[in-house]
Amino acid sequence: MISYLLRRGSRVVRIILFISFCNAVLAEVEIYGEASYENRYFVEEGLFGQDKSHSSFTLSPEFYFESEDQKTSFTFKPKIRRDSVDNERNLFDIQDFSLVKVQDSYETRIGIRRDFWGVTETVHRVDIINQTDQVESFDGEDKLGQPMINLSLEREWGTLDLYVLIGFRERTFAGEKGRLRLPFPIDRNSAQYESSAENLRTDFAIRWSQYYQDLELALSHFSGTSREPEFKAALKNNTNLIIPYYEVIDQTGLEVLYIVGGLAFKLEAISRSGQGDRFSAATAGFEYTQVGILSSSLDLGWLFEFNHDDRYKDSPIALGARLTFNDLYDSQILSGVIRNEETGETNVFVEASRRVRNCCRLSFESVYFNEGTNSNSVQKTFEYLKQDDFARFEFIYYLGN
Amino acid sequence: MRKLFKHFLFVSLFIFLNFTNADDFDRGLEIALATDKNFSGFGDSQTNLKMLLKNRKGFVTERKMKMKLLEVPNDGDKSLIVFDSPRDVRGVAVLSYAHKVGSDEQWLYLPALKRVKRVASKNRTGPFLGSEFSLEDLSFQEIEKYTYEYLRDEDLEGKGCYVIKRIPLDPYSGYTKQIVWIDKTDSVILQIHHYDRKSFHLKTQIFKGYKKYLNKFWRPNEIHMINHQTNKTTTLFFEEMTFNTGLSEKDFTQNSLKRSK
Repeated sequence: MISYLLRRGSRVVRIILFISFCNAVLAEVEIYGEASYENRYFVEEGLFGQDKSHSSFTLSPEFYFESEDQKTSFTFKPKIRRDSVDNERNLFDIQDFSLVKVQDSYETRIGIRRDFWGVTETVHRVDIINQTDQVESFDGEDKLGQPMINLSLEREWGTLDLYVLIGFRERTFAGEKGRLRLPFPIDRNSAQYESSAENLRTDFAIRWSQYYQDLELALSHFSGTSREPEFKAALKNNTNLIIPYYEVIDQTGLEVLYIVGGLAFKLEAISRSGQGDRFSAATAGFEYTQVGILSSSLDLGWLFEFNHDDRYKDSPIALGARLTFNDLYDSQILSGVIRNEETGETNVFVEASRRVRNCCRLSFESVYFNEGTNSNSVQKTFEYLKQDDFARFEFIYYLGN
Repeated sequence: MRKLFKHFLFVSLFIFLNFTNADDFDRGLEIALATDKNFSGFGDSQTNLKMLLKNRKGFVTERKMKMKLLEVPNDGDKSLIVFDSPRDVRGVAVLSYAHKVGSDEQWLYLPALKRVKRVASKNRTGPFLGSEFSLEDLSFQEIEKYTYEYLRDEDLEGKGCYVIKRIPLDPYSGYTKQIVWIDKTDSVILQIHHYDRKSFHLKTQIFKGYKKYLNKFWRPNEIHMINHQTNKTTTLFFEEMTFNTGLSEKDFTQNSLKRSK
């Protein structure tokens, strides 16, 4: 009887201990992240009869835990997106599920993470660790979480990052009912791979970065499945389909940033093999900021970038202006023009956002496509997007206290 | 008579200008160096900051951040500022390396994009996050970054002060000159008048509530920045300042910038 009570008792004690342990841990967990609602309104019906109005809801809470000595931290950030029209825009992704441990001479990061490489603003050529969540935004800056082991060393001679990338994430594409899509539906589920391991291949990457006063340099190499697919035509159930084909590539990247006064020169260049002939591509340009224009607190930044890609004849240039209000609401407007002389296309965009109260943010984005009057036979970049001019409103609520 | 007066004025101006030379510069530097004793040998410190921003109608908003500071012997100090609120800038962080000679280096971390961006040193003069402080005001002011000149003795709110003029050597500084009031007894800065590039008295910075830490280092409790052009005020409150917290160079790298929360 006594032993029974003891056994029972110890179980109760254990449960109480467990609950208090959970409580203690949970008390230390900080919750951030955001919930957002967006509406995209297209001026015309799509080329393939798609709706004019699309809305979506996104929830991505972030749970963060840090040990007292700040040497160990854990982040969990799922992302859930529901779209009113396009099923392919529905998403469940784990953006972060990772443990970061800081040791004396290195830092280990294990789990699902996102990492950014690069210096330019309009095109990100070198950035390759994460897959692009293409349907999230037009600028392609939203990424999917990538499982990895990343070892980072910081020494006199610079920062060296070594990555073992486990498995592969497929790019997202708009579905049949979605906007900003190609003429044929892309069948993600039938994606093909060059590697026999398909989407379970283990990839490797390395990046060295260093700065010398006003010069910042980075060299990187990636060996693995290309984040950018080729497209193959296929016939399935008597329907024409496009299948993404992911080849195994080797890509070497260079990033340069040089600052002279208020002027920043930027260069991103890559050389890639594995997708047909080896090719190079580069984006170079500058950014100049005028602080306090017209005796106000406004900053006006100018942005100019030009592109080269061996694969295409065209080399679009981008010109942008960023107005930062430096006010209580962190208001800012970025607008720009991307001009392609070869195809005659012009693409105009405006992005504006401001804070609302202490918790929220309101943003507006508009993109306009003009196919120009060039009637030559050059394949247009935005051929199928010519009816996709849109305005997007987004309201973001930031979680937390 | 008038002519004589003019002559007298001219002569006295000449004498005055002569006096300004060497002696007053030396004295100015000497006074500035005395204030620097509060910053030499402190090792490292950590503090929570609260910023209250008040516009001309009296509307107040709050920002919260954490600051880490590391003394680097024979060079400028390193600092890391991380934002807690408002929520949309939570996790945004600024890493600065001040240098005794040459331009400072500064990086901004944008957590939404996981991106570290270098800030051109010329772009540090504008208002920082809507406050009346610029990144320049928030970075560490090394003695070597200015030339000094002693102006006069003057009482400020009942405290005997030296008034000195300092001129930034950094060609990208937002200021042409600063007039600084320094407490004679404790060698701490009580007030600064900032003159912008058009030599207009743009801002007044007032330091209040000095406390002595480790029996040695005076630190203010509040710093007020008043903008005379916009009539807006920002007050910075220092909360829970701790010294010798065991920080090292490793806590002020780009990797530590990326993981700062």
